[in-house]
Amino acid sequence: MDSDERYRRLFRTALTIRLVEERIIELYPSDRIQSPVHLSIGQEAVAVGVCDALNVDDLVFATYRSHGFYIAKGGSLPKMFAELYGRVGGVSKGKAGSMHLSAPEVGLMGSSAVVASSIPHAVGAALSFKRRGSSRVAVAVFGDGATEEGVYHESLNFAALMKVPVLFLCEDNGLAVHSFKNARQSYNLLEHAKTFGIEARRLDEGWDMLAIRQATLDALSVVRAGRPFVLEIATGRYKEHVGVGDDFHFGYRNATDIDAWKARDPLLLDEKLVAELKPEIDREIAAAAEFAETSPFPGRDELLTDII
Amino acid sequence: MNVSSKERPSTQTRVLSYAGALLETMDSALADHPNVFIMGQGVDDFKGIFGSTTGLAQKYGAQRVFDVPLMEEGMTGVAIGAALVGDYPITTHIRADFSFLAMNQIVNLASKYRYMFGGIMSCPMLIRLVVGRSWGQGAQHSQSPQATFAHYPGLTVVMPSTSQAIVDMYPQIIVRHPGPVVSIEHRLLYNLDFSVSAGTPAKPIPLTSYVAREGRDVTVVATSVMVLEALRAAQYVAEKAGIEVEVIDLNSISHPDWELVIGSIRKTGRLVIADTSWLEYGVAGEVCRQVMMRDPAMLRQAPAMLGMAAAPCPTAKSLEDIYYPSQHETVEAILTQVCGSRHGIELPVERSMTEGYKRFRGPF
Repeated sequence: MDSDERYRRLFRTALTIRLVEERIIELYPSDRIQSPVHLSIGQEAVAVGVCDALNVDDLVFATYRSHGFYIAKGGSLPKMFAELYGRVGGVSKGKAGSMHLSAPEVGLMGSSAVVASSIPHAVGAALSFKRRGSSRVAVAVFGDGATEEGVYHESLNFAALMKVPVLFLCEDNGLAVHSFKNARQSYNLLEHAKTFGIEARRLDEGWDMLAIRQATLDALSVVRAGRPFVLEIATGRYKEHVGVGDDFHFGYRNATDIDAWKARDPLLLDEKLVAELKPEIDREIAAAAEFAETSPFPGRDELLTDII
Repeated sequence: MNVSSKERPSTQTRVLSYAGALLETMDSALADHPNVFIMGQGVDDFKGIFGSTTGLAQKYGAQRVFDVPLMEEGMTGVAIGAALVGDYPITTHIRADFSFLAMNQIVNLASKYRYMFGGIMSCPMLIRLVVGRSWGQGAQHSQSPQATFAHYPGLTVVMPSTSQAIVDMYPQIIVRHPGPVVSIEHRLLYNLDFSVSAGTPAKPIPLTSYVAREGRDVTVVATSVMVLEALRAAQYVAEKAGIEVEVIDLNSISHPDWELVIGSIRKTGRLVIADTSWLEYGVAGEVCRQVMMRDPAMLRQAPAMLGMAAAPCPTAKSLEDIYYPSQHETVEAILTQVCGSRHGIELPVERSMTEGYKRFRGPF
């Protein structure tokens, strides 16, 4: 494939994520979306680069900040909007909302709102793939804060022992809610992974979709050979931890912390390509929001279904 | 959910220990379903979870039956991930207390996966917990968390009290039940022999409650090893005083057959609840809630409750013996329900309950 064409494809997906979330920001005061949203604005390149390197049947287990992974893995926009609106036309009939998006038909196997809790799920799916002799892989997506949880360490140890095809993907935005990494971590993530015999790599260019895609492909060549891999990608969270606003005015961090990311952000820099692609994406988003608007709310009959 | 012998196509019986029933059902699950695997600390060692998995790793290979590091939360998360892609994991905890390390995965994830995702995903699996009792199990090897797990919608919680319950129930659970099941097994039962129907049930058996002994005078609703205690007490009061006790094995803690339970209480008007755990916010409270919601007048008097004392479990035998309800106390509760506190009927000799389960001599 022509590299320009590849760049356009990745750029379009990243722009879709950005425009979807900007639409969410506009809609939020209308109370159409009555649940917490954790925006991935600024982090789109990670989801896009990683998912582009995966096959459709490779599985991703993600977090409450997963609008990006949902869209990058190929999830339906109308079903996403209907889910955010709490409607029966949503992915999960409105029972999941933003924090529990999934699209199993394209390999997004669920998003958990308890930090680190979906990491071992990826290991378990990878274990099953190995048992079946499948070439599929599983990806555990988590933030830097999740690596402080015990289950991250349990998962690394077990994955290394059992030699399962799992990619541990750390989105390092340096923040756990409002806490900086230097207040939370006494270890170096790569060195830590290596003590388990797991290959690990950090990519600082978290704005560079093509570099992320290539780093993921390189990691997957190890993973598909049956060895886990830790890929840490630096990125920047532009918005507040939860909600649709900025949080610089609270004083715990400075806008300049994010300026370096914005200065490299292709979605801000490549205005020409944005102008070219935006109208069509806007139409897709409008259609998705319209679908959500017209989908009914789940009724009482849904309250007690699908429990067991 | 046990089916009495008269409902079975065959009236032939055989003797099978509780551990033997577990081993048999684990073995046939592995043989019948290629997607089943068993993992847990020590499942492939020479003790094989008190004999319930012995030899299976050799028979089915390390891909199907394998040891895990000490990682209760991680193991349960691995099980969820495997279940989501179509495998059926069976996990073990040699003491139920250790499952508390997996509470995040069991409660926050497994129990909610199906509902939270609107029915498009599910993680069926079997989580086996072993409750310890006697030989100084102490505060952290003795807890019986049926009420804890049954509190959470999405979990199915069962407590098989006999080998028959296991051979009837586990094949219905493994692969076939759509969601996660927590089965709470009791260490004191493992070495006991039971008479088991040789025939297979004519129809699938629901995971629910059953009448373990029919009677007209008083209803005892019991769980796990307390079902056996209730049956011993029932036999005693029948012989000593002609009192006919109806014993109901609640069996399914999360989904009991309340019509069966309430029907029995309506019939006898007298109720004793005998549970393996604490009474506070537990099975005893739930049985009473069900009675209160329907018709408190079905009870002729206040019910009696038997359970662990409201303290962590002490290790010293002198304290442990009075920590759990004794056979003496069980009989006393039944007699008082039927005849009042001045019943004047001779009680059985006061002795440690575990004297009746002499084959368990520890250490674990």
